[in-house]
Amino acid sequence: MTSFRRLTFAVVLLAVATAARAAAQDYSRLALIRDDVTRNVVRGLLGGAFSRGVPIDPLMAKALEGVAKKASTTAIRDAMNALEKRMRKAQDLLGKDASVDELAAGADALSVGVSEKTLTRMRRAAPRRSIALELGVLTELVARGVGPSKASEMVLSLMARNATGVQLTALSNDVQGDVAAGLNPEVALTLRGKGIMSLLPPPPSTNTLQPRPK
Amino acid sequence: MSEIDPAVALRAKRGDEQAFIEIVQFYYPRCLRFARNMLGSDQDAEEAVQDAFVRVHDSFGRFREDARFDPWLFRILANRCRTLLARSRRHRSLIEYGEVPLSAAAPAEDFGADWAEEVRMVLETLPAEQREAFLLRHVEDLSYEDIAAVTGVGLSALRMRVKRACDALRARLTEVEQQNDR
Amino acid sequence: MIDETDELIQRAARSLRALPATNPLATARIIAAVRARRAQAPSRLALVAQWMREPTLSAASAAFLAAAALVVGFVARGAVRTVDGSSPDIATTSEMPLPTGTAPALPTANTRGEGVAVAFLFEARNAKSVAVVGDFNNWDATSSPMKRFGPDGPWTTTVRAKPGRHVYAFLVDGSTVVADPRAPRARDLDYGGDASVLMVTTP
Repeated sequence: MTSFRRLTFAVVLLAVATAARAAAQDYSRLALIRDDVTRNVVRGLLGGAFSRGVPIDPLMAKALEGVAKKASTTAIRDAMNALEKRMRKAQDLLGKDASVDELAAGADALSVGVSEKTLTRMRRAAPRRSIALELGVLTELVARGVGPSKASEMVLSLMARNATGVQLTALSNDVQGDVAAGLNPEVALTLRGKGIMSLLPPPPSTNTLQPRPK
Repeated sequence: MSEIDPAVALRAKRGDEQAFIEIVQFYYPRCLRFARNMLGSDQDAEEAVQDAFVRVHDSFGRFREDARFDPWLFRILANRCRTLLARSRRHRSLIEYGEVPLSAAAPAEDFGADWAEEVRMVLETLPAEQREAFLLRHVEDLSYEDIAAVTGVGLSALRMRVKRACDALRARLTEVEQQNDR
Repeated sequence: MIDETDELIQRAARSLRALPATNPLATARIIAAVRARRAQAPSRLALVAQWMREPTLSAASAAFLAAAALVVGFVARGAVRTVDGSSPDIATTSEMPLPTGTAPALPTANTRGEGVAVAFLFEARNAKSVAVVGDFNNWDATSSPMKRFGPDGPWTTTVRAKPGRHVYAFLVDGSTVVADPRAPRARDLDYGGDASVLMVTTP
């Protein structure tokens, strides 16, 4: 049963990875942009990014977000340029094998003020699996008002203790809720972070514990 | 209905957390389905299922290694549901505002939401033991022997409960059909 | 002995048979509660003895459930996640609406495509059409139209999103972008409009 499950996970990961790579080069969505001028500008920007080795999918999404929000062509262009720049930086920090999701998540993290050093440390903490989720959690914590360095330290500590994706997600959800209820963001982070630490299983010498999930 | 590999149950009984997690993930949808149909409320259902799994974990010591896991699990779950039912005092309508009707996931489109609502309303009016027996037999597809193991009730009493539930359903649903035909 | 298998009963049973998708946070809470009990009691024998003495949840477990309930409470305001289970009995429609639940998270072998199935819910009585748009579907209104339950019910749909942080909103009547009132806000530094945050977790 367990090996079946491992196989299934492997299949899922493979499917996700393959699909991600394919989607990264998908120009077909340009057709969704009805305005000719905007479409041409976006096409040009995508072409440039492609030639620089940056995955297009997040850039396309950014463009289409602008279209959905009825943004001006200039705003769309600026947003795409800014995103591409951040993604190139994320590529430097997260490595050539980083997935599209990681790059997009890394770019988001950088955009809210997470330091480049943090991205490097996170990569080092988990060199072989995607840290898109961790980056997303970190971004969200900062978006809720936690200072980037405090949030970074917390996420890195939890990664070192093998916190699960569920726990990390719960952390950001909890902090968000606490902040919405009026609590100081960093107090909330400390509180909720402690809560998770107390749940983390002891080091793997005693039990057959689940290996850190992706 | 597929059952979990007995080896997994065995490993879980012996303390393998990974195996226990597999059990939870394998059975959760089915347990939730039963609990929802029994209790009529998502929140209560989740509570019942959670309680049941925790209790499964705690009382694994009593689970005989040669026994089948399914009926044992459902017995614990059915107990939890009964306890929750006894505790709930206020009458709760099955379709609460804001809750998405559970029937929407039914694959056969010809039902429509109304049909499923009618079924639930009939279920809700049934005595708990009839509802339980009906669900175990016709939704969870347990054999009467298994249901006896789950409920601790004799076979003929069980068949009577199922029959009564079916009679009530048939009566109401026939009415509904006739109304729809008009 | 009579075994009721006539058509009406079968149809009734079928309408009840659709398997709900696993609520990932719920399964995670179960595991957390169980781990807590392991941490407390050194031996399973002790646990069994405890269960036999007190057939209700111990105070610590109750506390965990309460803590988990806090999580549920906060996140229940957001988009709802589900993960398709691996059982072959699950309804195969991708438009499976789900009850208000909580956050995304856990795994179950989801081999039907990339990402995790996430259910969205939006109340808009007077809308004629609603779609979910977000970074997981390229803000494309045509890819995730929502359906409503009855003339007054909430709009729902299910979308696949990969683990991580996502930004989304609802597109009402093809033109108005509305943030999800039940979810945390995402400040849009690029375009200024308001959107919502969705956290999808991973195995």
